[in-house]
Amino acid sequence: MIRRDGQIGKELPKGRSLWSDGLRRLRRHRLAMVCLGVIAVYVVLTGLIYLDELSKWDTPVTRWDEEVGGAYEPPSAKNIFGTDFLGRSVFRKTLYGARVSITVAFWASVVSLGVGVPLGAIAGYFRGVADEIIVWVYTTLSSIPYILLILAFALVLKDKTINLKWAKLGIIELGGIATVYLAIGLTSWVGICRLIRGEVIKHKNREYVLAAKSYGCGNGRIIFRHLIPNVFHLVIISFSLRFVSFIQAEVILSFLGLGEKDRPSWGAMIDQARLELPRGHWWEMTAATAAIFFISLALNIFGDALRDSLDPKLRIQ
Amino acid sequence: MEQDGTLLSLEGVSTHFFTEEGVARAVQDVSFSVKRGKTFALVGESGCGKSVTALSIMRLVPDPPGKIVGGRIAFEGQDLQGLSEKQMRGIRGNNIAMIFQEPMTSLNPVFTVGNQIVEAIRMHQRKGLTDAWSDAVEMLRKVGIPDPEQRVREYPHQMSGGMRQRVMIAMAVSCEPRLLIADEPTTALDVTIQAQILDLLDELQSESGMSILLITHDLGVVAERADDVAVMYASRIVEMAESSVLFAEPLHPYTQGLLKSLPRLGLLEKRLPTVRGVVPNPLCFPTGCKFHPRCAIGFDDERCRSVEPELRQVGETRRAACWYTPGYETQEEYRDYESRYGKHKRLSVDGR
Amino acid sequence: MNQDMASTNDYLLTVDELKTYFPIRKGLLRRTVGYVKAVDGVSFRIRSGQTLGLVGESGCGKTTVARSIVRLVLATSGRVVFDEIDVLSAGGQSLRQIRREISLIFQDPYGSLNPRMTVGNIVGEPLKVQEKGRANRWDGGYIERVASVLEKVGLSSDHMNRYPHEFSGGQRQRIGIARALALEPKLVICDEPVSALDVSIQSQILNLLKDLQGEFGLTFLFIAHDLAVVEFFCELVAVMYMGRIVEQAGSEELYKNALHPYTRALMSAIPHVDPSLRGRREAFGGEVPSALNPPSGCPFHPRCAEVGEKCTIEIPTLTEKGGGEGHFVACWKR
Repeated sequence: MIRRDGQIGKELPKGRSLWSDGLRRLRRHRLAMVCLGVIAVYVVLTGLIYLDELSKWDTPVTRWDEEVGGAYEPPSAKNIFGTDFLGRSVFRKTLYGARVSITVAFWASVVSLGVGVPLGAIAGYFRGVADEIIVWVYTTLSSIPYILLILAFALVLKDKTINLKWAKLGIIELGGIATVYLAIGLTSWVGICRLIRGEVIKHKNREYVLAAKSYGCGNGRIIFRHLIPNVFHLVIISFSLRFVSFIQAEVILSFLGLGEKDRPSWGAMIDQARLELPRGHWWEMTAATAAIFFISLALNIFGDALRDSLDPKLRIQ
Repeated sequence: MEQDGTLLSLEGVSTHFFTEEGVARAVQDVSFSVKRGKTFALVGESGCGKSVTALSIMRLVPDPPGKIVGGRIAFEGQDLQGLSEKQMRGIRGNNIAMIFQEPMTSLNPVFTVGNQIVEAIRMHQRKGLTDAWSDAVEMLRKVGIPDPEQRVREYPHQMSGGMRQRVMIAMAVSCEPRLLIADEPTTALDVTIQAQILDLLDELQSESGMSILLITHDLGVVAERADDVAVMYASRIVEMAESSVLFAEPLHPYTQGLLKSLPRLGLLEKRLPTVRGVVPNPLCFPTGCKFHPRCAIGFDDERCRSVEPELRQVGETRRAACWYTPGYETQEEYRDYESRYGKHKRLSVDGR
Repeated sequence: MNQDMASTNDYLLTVDELKTYFPIRKGLLRRTVGYVKAVDGVSFRIRSGQTLGLVGESGCGKTTVARSIVRLVLATSGRVVFDEIDVLSAGGQSLRQIRREISLIFQDPYGSLNPRMTVGNIVGEPLKVQEKGRANRWDGGYIERVASVLEKVGLSSDHMNRYPHEFSGGQRQRIGIARALALEPKLVICDEPVSALDVSIQSQILNLLKDLQGEFGLTFLFIAHDLAVVEFFCELVAVMYMGRIVEQAGSEELYKNALHPYTRALMSAIPHVDPSLRGRREAFGGEVPSALNPPSGCPFHPRCAEVGEKCTIEIPTLTEKGGGEGHFVACWKR
């Protein structure tokens, strides 16, 4: 950005960037804003739970393993979602499950974008050998059934740990939840990589890129200053739509017993609760399913609205 | 068909686009008529409303956000607005056909050329498949494509731009329409191919007697091929006349400015006269005469700034929309002007 | 046209037998099965302060010539000498100098500006790239330079923080011109700079370019398909067809006395507003042949009314025909 300069003496009028145009259109989409609110609720909840845990506060919500009543009590004024087989509050477990899901989805997104975007940009810009290798890698990877890949990861990483004491994160077990983050992230970068690659190929022959080359821009500058800003909106759209699939992936994995073992997660809750359904204990299953449903719906609607507002092609000139 | 040989007539047609950012008045109060067997050209720059006018005739304006908000469009005496969509489909491609600028996007890339012509034929005529195919081959031959029996099985991407345009023309004239609307038919083509395509259209016209509504921004093409011309600027017609008359003696400052600013072979100028300023945005047109901010005369004229001149008869066969066109205003209007704004320069004072 | 080393010193740009072939690869192993000969032996010279127009229809190779000269595309063979630097093999400092002293102006006002950058950044980026490390980029000098070049092209410093989509086509083209002038180049290559603009704006931009040429003593290589525009702007004109120059002359001379059948056909195909300029339409049919399968001998012979036997066998060379300051034609019949 150009800084205001005393020598020129006056304030230069600000322009309307494509981003601000897009955000303005997004704000007008009322349903999307409502959904953004819902998403915010989940995220803030997660944040609060972390804050609570790290700072040793002790709010009732995080005491998910506290016995609050008898086993399998149906919803009542005291426990609005009832209790599970150990007498724990289903409501508290549901809220806690948000932490797990949002965290998993967040790290998985970071991994998949962190791998997918640079590889896509490199493949699309340099073409040739680099492109062939990257395409071969992701084609092979995406041909392996997803579940097998995750199971393989889980097996390999079981009982292995990394010592992260230097970062004050203690010793992290690679089995368990970390597997889930890595596995989901590493198997889902393919989509964003393909997308970025395609867009970079399209944009790199545009005249503004040729112009940049003609006055001496190096490859790095072209990729970071010219190409990525013009494909970044796709990253954002992809991020918001992917988030849903990550949440649902975590659910499935926990359901299969591969995910978080010590803490409640929605998938684990569903797993535990399904055996109880025939006996008429419906509240745990319903709570977990409802929690998943609302965040997924909100993300889907918001993601679509985001795509409509940020994609310049959909605008009528 | 009306008695005076008018095939298509537009009266006071207005088409507006209702968008998030406001109302874009793309076409306002446009009136003209196309005679049987003649070529009528609608000339103007981007955004002047000429393409939207054509789409309005065909009722192909995207709705939303566009809508024909006023006026009457009559084809062979029949009001096109009053027809049902089904009846309109019977007219499109059959009585009125349209060809576009970009043949690559107007032809379906997944069907062979022959398939597309056959589809056009069978949609409007009761013909068997074999008959339709031999018709298609004949059409390709007629539009000057060599080896039509071979070409009929090719796909659009296998052909050059000029060939694709010929295919489009073949599709358009396959049902012998009475009116062909050509929206920038040669703009995307090289000048040598352009000449061939325009020659082809001339040929087809003299053979079948169809009328052509030619929409373009290329004044040279209009001067050589059109019988009558209407110049559009910012959603309105600003001048209308027979083509030879218009180019010999343009009346409206916009037409004059445009013609003067064209670089011409052999004139060896040092600097080109220009029309200053830019074409206005349909979302916010200037007040009064839409051309006034760019007009040497109207720039600081009170009346041009506040009152929009309508398209009026000037002399016998011409029309113009400019306060300063000779013979435009009545004596009364002149006196009224004088009383309000004081004396003003006049190019000539003709009785109306 | 043969060049000798001594004469290149008088010329700012010398292009000698430039050839740019694009390989066509087929099959699993991507074997090269043939070449698209986009530029097939083009030679010309431009003196400092001159303007040379390169005219031709689509596919003739004029854009590829421009891109080969600035190394946006890899030339296959030939020599390009700019200000005594051998362009095609330049590296390091020399290459930077070329990038600084040769600028490009593009055709599409919508595609040639990065939609996510402000006008100030677009016009100023050449300065940042070329002068990094030397001067403090954020000092007033840089902003002043951007503002001053914007004013030269008819915009104002108020526009610096705006984005391209807030401007009209003609204004965007002005921004592109400002960007091209930011580094004070010696040679400006314009690739169809007015073709995508409205008619009433074209003359504004052409006048602007002419004024800038006068003010800064710029040399132009002007590429276009419109003969009238080229005649207005350029002193010298070269007509291209299928990767070769078929005729070259001063623009007045070319108009008065075009020799090559293609040039004459081109001129006669132009629709004229003024009836007195319309000549007899020269008989001229067919299409530009595919570059994958060019005709033998003279590339124009399948469409030429005067074709003879030699035309189908041997490619004609560009030879001087007299008529003032060097009128060259590549035709066996002339």
